[in-house]
Amino acid sequence: MTHWRSLEELAGSAEFREALAHEFPPGADEPASGMSRRSFVQLLGASIALSGLGGCLERPRERILPYVSNPPELTPGLAQYYATSMVLGGYATGLLVESHAGRPTKVEGNPDHPASLGAAGVFEQASVLQLYDPHRARRPRRASKELSWPEFTSAVSPAKLRRYVGDRGAGLHFLLEPTSSPFVGDLLVRLRALYPAVGIHFYGPLTSPMLTAAGTMAFGRALQPVYDFRSADVVLALDADFLASMPFHLRYAHDFAERRRITGPSDPMNRLYAAEPVFSPTGSLADHRLRTTGTSISEVAWLVLAELVQNHGLSPEGMPAGMRSLLGTVETDDGRLRWSRAVAADLAAHRGRSVVIAGERQPVEVQVIAHLLNSALGNWGKTVRYIDSPFAAPGNDGGGLGPLMDASAAGQVTTLAVLEGNPCYNAPADLDFSSRFSKLYLTLYLGLYENETAAEAKMFIPALHYLESWGDARAYDGTASLVQPLISPLYGGRTPADVLLAFLGEPDAQVHQQLRQFWQQRVASADFEHFWDTALQRGVLPDTSAPSVTPTLKWNGLDQLLTRSPAGRPPANEPAVELVFLPDPKVYDGTFAGSPWLQELPHPITKLTWDNAAMLSPGTAARIGVGSGDMLLLEADRRTLRVPALIVPGHADDSIALNLGYGRWADGEPVARGVGFNAYRLLPSMRYILPAVSATQALHSGIPRRHDLAVTQTHWAMEGRPLVLQAALEDYRHHPDFTRGDKGRTLSLYEPHKYTGNQWAMVIDQSLCTGCGGCVVACQAENNIPVVGKEGVLNSREMHWLRIDRYFSGPADDPEVVAQPMLCQHCEKAPCEYVCPVSATKHSPDGLNEMVYNRCVGTRFCSNNCPYKVRRFNWFDYNAEVSETEAMAKNPDVTVRARGVMEKCSFCVQRIRASEIEAQIAGHPVRDGQFTTACAQACPTKAIIFGSFADPDSAVAHAAAEPRAYAVLHELGTEPRVRYLARITNPNQALEDQHGV
Amino acid sequence: MVSSLATSPPLMAAQPEIPLLEGRPSDAELTDRLLTPLWTTARGWWLLFGVTALGTLWLMVTVTYTVITGIGVWGNNIPVAWAYAIINFVWWIGIGHAGTFISAFLLLLNQRWRASVNRIAEAMTLFALINAALFPLLHLGRPWFFYWLLPYPTRMSVWPQFKSALPWDVAAVATYFTVSLLFWYLGLVPDLATARDQAPTVRRRRVYGVFALGWRGSARQWYHYRTAYLLLAGLATPLVISVHSVVSLDFSISQLPGWHSTIFPPYFVVGAIYSGFAMVLLLLLPVRRVFRLEDIITRRHLDNMAKLLLATGLMLVYSYIVELFIAWYSGDMYERYTYLVARPFGPYSLIFWAMIAANVLTPQLFWFRRLRTSASVLFGASLVILAGMWTERFIIIVTSLNRDFLPSSWHFYSPTWVDWSILLGTVSLFGLLFLLFIRFLPFVALHEMKQLRYGLVQGESSRGVAAV
Amino acid sequence: MAALFSPHSNVVARRVVVLAVLAVVGIPLLLMWWVRTPYVTGQGHTVAQPIPLFSHQIHVTGLQIDCRYCHYAVERAATAGMPSSETCIPCHSQVWRTGPFFAPVRASLTSKAPIPWQRINRLPDYVFFNHAIHVNKGVGCETCHGRVDQMAQIRQAVPLTMSWCLDCHNQPERYLRPVDQVTVMGWHPSQGSQLSQGRELKRRYHVRELTTCTACHR
Repeated sequence: MTHWRSLEELAGSAEFREALAHEFPPGADEPASGMSRRSFVQLLGASIALSGLGGCLERPRERILPYVSNPPELTPGLAQYYATSMVLGGYATGLLVESHAGRPTKVEGNPDHPASLGAAGVFEQASVLQLYDPHRARRPRRASKELSWPEFTSAVSPAKLRRYVGDRGAGLHFLLEPTSSPFVGDLLVRLRALYPAVGIHFYGPLTSPMLTAAGTMAFGRALQPVYDFRSADVVLALDADFLASMPFHLRYAHDFAERRRITGPSDPMNRLYAAEPVFSPTGSLADHRLRTTGTSISEVAWLVLAELVQNHGLSPEGMPAGMRSLLGTVETDDGRLRWSRAVAADLAAHRGRSVVIAGERQPVEVQVIAHLLNSALGNWGKTVRYIDSPFAAPGNDGGGLGPLMDASAAGQVTTLAVLEGNPCYNAPADLDFSSRFSKLYLTLYLGLYENETAAEAKMFIPALHYLESWGDARAYDGTASLVQPLISPLYGGRTPADVLLAFLGEPDAQVHQQLRQFWQQRVASADFEHFWDTALQRGVLPDTSAPSVTPTLKWNGLDQLLTRSPAGRPPANEPAVELVFLPDPKVYDGTFAGSPWLQELPHPITKLTWDNAAMLSPGTAARIGVGSGDMLLLEADRRTLRVPALIVPGHADDSIALNLGYGRWADGEPVARGVGFNAYRLLPSMRYILPAVSATQALHSGIPRRHDLAVTQTHWAMEGRPLVLQAALEDYRHHPDFTRGDKGRTLSLYEPHKYTGNQWAMVIDQSLCTGCGGCVVACQAENNIPVVGKEGVLNSREMHWLRIDRYFSGPADDPEVVAQPMLCQHCEKAPCEYVCPVSATKHSPDGLNEMVYNRCVGTRFCSNNCPYKVRRFNWFDYNAEVSETEAMAKNPDVTVRARGVMEKCSFCVQRIRASEIEAQIAGHPVRDGQFTTACAQACPTKAIIFGSFADPDSAVAHAAAEPRAYAVLHELGTEPRVRYLARITNPNQALEDQHGV
Repeated sequence: MVSSLATSPPLMAAQPEIPLLEGRPSDAELTDRLLTPLWTTARGWWLLFGVTALGTLWLMVTVTYTVITGIGVWGNNIPVAWAYAIINFVWWIGIGHAGTFISAFLLLLNQRWRASVNRIAEAMTLFALINAALFPLLHLGRPWFFYWLLPYPTRMSVWPQFKSALPWDVAAVATYFTVSLLFWYLGLVPDLATARDQAPTVRRRRVYGVFALGWRGSARQWYHYRTAYLLLAGLATPLVISVHSVVSLDFSISQLPGWHSTIFPPYFVVGAIYSGFAMVLLLLLPVRRVFRLEDIITRRHLDNMAKLLLATGLMLVYSYIVELFIAWYSGDMYERYTYLVARPFGPYSLIFWAMIAANVLTPQLFWFRRLRTSASVLFGASLVILAGMWTERFIIIVTSLNRDFLPSSWHFYSPTWVDWSILLGTVSLFGLLFLLFIRFLPFVALHEMKQLRYGLVQGESSRGVAAV
Repeated sequence: MAALFSPHSNVVARRVVVLAVLAVVGIPLLLMWWVRTPYVTGQGHTVAQPIPLFSHQIHVTGLQIDCRYCHYAVERAATAGMPSSETCIPCHSQVWRTGPFFAPVRASLTSKAPIPWQRINRLPDYVFFNHAIHVNKGVGCETCHGRVDQMAQIRQAVPLTMSWCLDCHNQPERYLRPVDQVTVMGWHPSQGSQLSQGRELKRRYHVRELTTCTACHR
């Protein structure tokens, strides 16, 4: 019940009236409250503190606006869930979206969708805030003049357009983001039929051209591999962050966890080898991580292949005998050879039960060698299957950005329509897209924001958010799903399909009908209505996943790739370092740079917020002579970038990594503008790694030589404290009770609470946590958690109820990273409770540590006495700046906290109480798994288990009974209801003695 | 041992005793000298008044700003959720201890030398408490709900939680303030009467008259007066111990390394009296100088108070040592880290060593009589000690919070300009109140001085000794 | 010299002392009383409604219409549900469909604009009340909304203070009634006392004495 639920109040603003007009059936049955909590509090305070005066205040008037006619599907006060899909990097992820009175408020994963299986990533979850973003573009325009839709459609109708582009459409070009939408694909085909000479191009900065290129090189056709980690005992990740950032990563993480999860010492566990320059969530989970430069990954891959062929007699299908000799084993100076040998041996021992996966940023040869390795290991058809790329016109193949630029250089481009994406910002620097684009005769841009590209475009049409639009898309494995709107457009706008239809001369065609027709023609179903409805309900079109293709290797042309002798690393005295470009775990390619939630989400490894930085190893930093926060000057092919350095232990020497997506400058996105540094200024086309750039300390006068980096965790060591317990699987088997000293009852002077009913509790498996941050965003969305901005983070005032602590352990030169989700532990002997002077935090009979915001006076004693420091304080009124549309994203079941009160994790008590009421009315007890907390729900590896200890058969009870379970800071006697499962790793004995190559 | 300080301990038996009152001024003379400041205003006074008034104004501005915007304008954060507000609170409360200690404690112990200093000390106590009381209120997230800490039947049918130290804190401070006020006012009554009779104009006579509550100085009144005064003293004395003990519980009931310590109550009380005496001296010495009171506030008084500084200072040093020892002896890794690593070598180590220097070394001066009786040395020392005691509270609060159990939540704390403004603002307010006090009220207990002189004369005649 | 004060001033002085004492004790007591008055709690207050002549009395007592006909969500949702304008039509297409007092409904139906009812029973933003669970556990409408059947103009029947809520949450048996009787106005236990029957119902419906904070504050 938050003040923006008051339609009365909302109706005041023009902005909202517009939204309202679009969105709601007039009025909605809402318990409206005419005043904000804050004014209520002040009224209460005044009325009593200022004695009689309070009486002079008139009782606030409130209105209740019932429907004029009740929408049949909707009961006021009950949330609904709709299935839809979100497309990222061209691939769809199936979602369930929670909606209150016609307002989508929370995005969750769709259990029926292969790319989600119920999990949701940070981008999907944060997308709901983007829907309500008040900065979204609203006004179609030509130059700066208003442009109505009919005006536009007539302008681009074939009749008019042919005058400029002729009958064949010469000079007419389209630039889209890579799309897997069958419907859009069909429209493009129709477009080409209409204009045979039309140029259709695709560009997404993070859609790797390598995958398809490698496919073409190895198989002569753009096949893409789909891995099955459920049947993989051993995994080798070659700079592949398949658990957190590659396409399909939610599914991969889920499957990998299936084999990682152990319920007892005797259980088997898969083994993960990772070779990578940058610490990635995948690397943090690896049993053996090889810290090596991005350019030397090919060498590692090559060594493993050579090893398999030479010493294990395993060679890829149909490998010509001549070629075997090309793979002469090479002696390398450092431990890489040794590492590769051990890995090869382990892989060879698990033929058909292993996976070799190459990161999409790695060059073609690595991709190809990965294919060869999987072939040699007999993984084809077992753990790896190949499918045709689900992209409408595969990847950037042929019609990429390069050809488009060549064409425009040759003056063959007169008209260019850019449908979504943001090429003027994120095109490779060497193409100089922006200036060419602005020079074209007629340019059209369809986008969500008035961004960098919109600024250069002659015509601009606001785009629809996916939660407002109809469409379809394929998942990475080819499964098709539908995109359906949950809310009618807030600010107006169009989809790419609308625009394409306009070009096809069908301005009046409705995307919805067109989409239906499209599928009706393709689906052999007697009862299409039923098919359609179930498809919308389940969010997936049945059995549309792409059929497997049996590939055959094309050996001609591979020989020079195999003879390639390993690239020697640059000698230490040379100043040049390699530069690796990474997708950003928070803003992706810059698309989400306008999302406050994601900007404030700590980076999984560095815990950096509201910025990106040049990540480099302590050694390299020392060589260059910079510390964290010092400005670096990077220079590559005569282009320069100034960016702050950030030292990350475990980073490869002589390698600098930059996250893309920052340094936006468009006024249309004030949140994104000026945050971080634009790595695209150095990004080359068709590559993600620059082998040699010069990195020096930026000392020029006038340029700031230091930059404040807002990092949420400033201390990186555990100080020898028993916080994250870990053991190797072998040791665990020998000493299953190694956490004995960190659990069990402790003595206490206070009499125990009287517990009745369910006993809510949580178990967190640290062997499975990748630190991806999905739970953090889920919590933020579910519990109306405010953002505090960079200043706030610098002051250590971030409000996240659930944070992921990250510690470096092991040898300083090659440490391992452990992640520990930290939230209110709901202690049975809670230190916060007995120090609160006004009983604002109490213990409930079902074992919750309750925080009553409206009783809190803000002494903050509870926070001081909380050993886990998970309590958060409203230093200011953080909701004062929230726009009315953003306010619509708030969860109506959770109080929006006033200034000056303490808050913290509530175990999603609103969900607990709701399901209790539901069960009570239905007359059965709350069943295990009937509901779960937002964090547990979002977790792709299901590392978080929530339930009731009262039920001995509940998943949480079983997990807590595991020998490796323990309580953090057990010796304090707080007896937490959150238990942790010690981190178990499965190292290879052969490599144990030489940890940290 | 306190009582032995006034009479001559063997340590300094050799030297001749300094008199409590030099010369034997008549009642008239005393009245005349001690009341003149009430009838005249010096230019210097106006100057100081202006300065402190401005400071107080600035205090009001920053306080209003804080209440309107939220305490986010301070430097506080998570983990350091308490900082300047609580540091200043404890500091001022501590300073507020000397008054009652001198007037009540020493009265019961029949220390005659208190006569010439108790009035200033008591006034000082009240003003310190006013400042102290400001902070618990201000530091609340929602100050307008302060009354939820009071036990009264609410419409919500919920009560304060008495397990917490904070409601008791409110009670303790309130009680202490009330009693101190009564005690101070009661002591004033006879002198107000004298002022009434001496005042040059009728208006002033009326004003003083109202506050003199019709005091006539009859034997009967004096009889009741003495009883009441003694009773109040008896009531006030335990408070000297209780108040700061309760304040110390705000910390020691927590389980935070650096706070969770059984030694806190006595440790805090000692520290309080220590800083209190420093403040008394800081005010007394200029007054003594300006109003030429060297014969009334003699070097004997300075000597005694210096001895008290030394005594309490040594007790404080003892507390420091015990804290460190226990931290090491407990074997608890968190205790050890806080006391043996974070404080001496952590981010705030400079402040820690400053505290040691100020609180441990300074009092050692007072082993020497020459320094004990030198006004300038005492003045400087008092300043250093007051600063030292402030840093002590800083160390206790900030260094315990900013590095507690989970290294992941460790974070640095630094104050903002608002923090500084409010601290300095309260200092101005304190000065302002004191200036008004010495301008409008008899700042030396007249009737007690006369009584003292009478007593001395009696003693001499009975023993037939020359001027003691 | 002349006396400073007249003899009368002694009397004044005494009065001042007495008054001071009274103020210190009295003012807080006064405030505590004041916040419990209807003036502050709003008990019994009414507001002019958009359809001035709409009367619960007529619809409930006169026409014997069940509460749930209009407040249709009360058994399923947190909110009781307000009748849509169309809800009026089935009956009012027969009777009283013309005439000025029905005009607002007609207007709403034509203009598709909601009828702006004025809220009477208001809870603070941080209180999460759920109608469904109360109704399903045998808490009658009347218990919180009073004798709506006698209200020509709707008014707040109870103080709606926290202590008032807790009164029932501490001893539900004093208020429970059979679930099929929840909408009955002026209901009395047919046989036995409220307490004896209340205890019985409490057992049968598994009603808990729910006083934990998060039952209402989330």
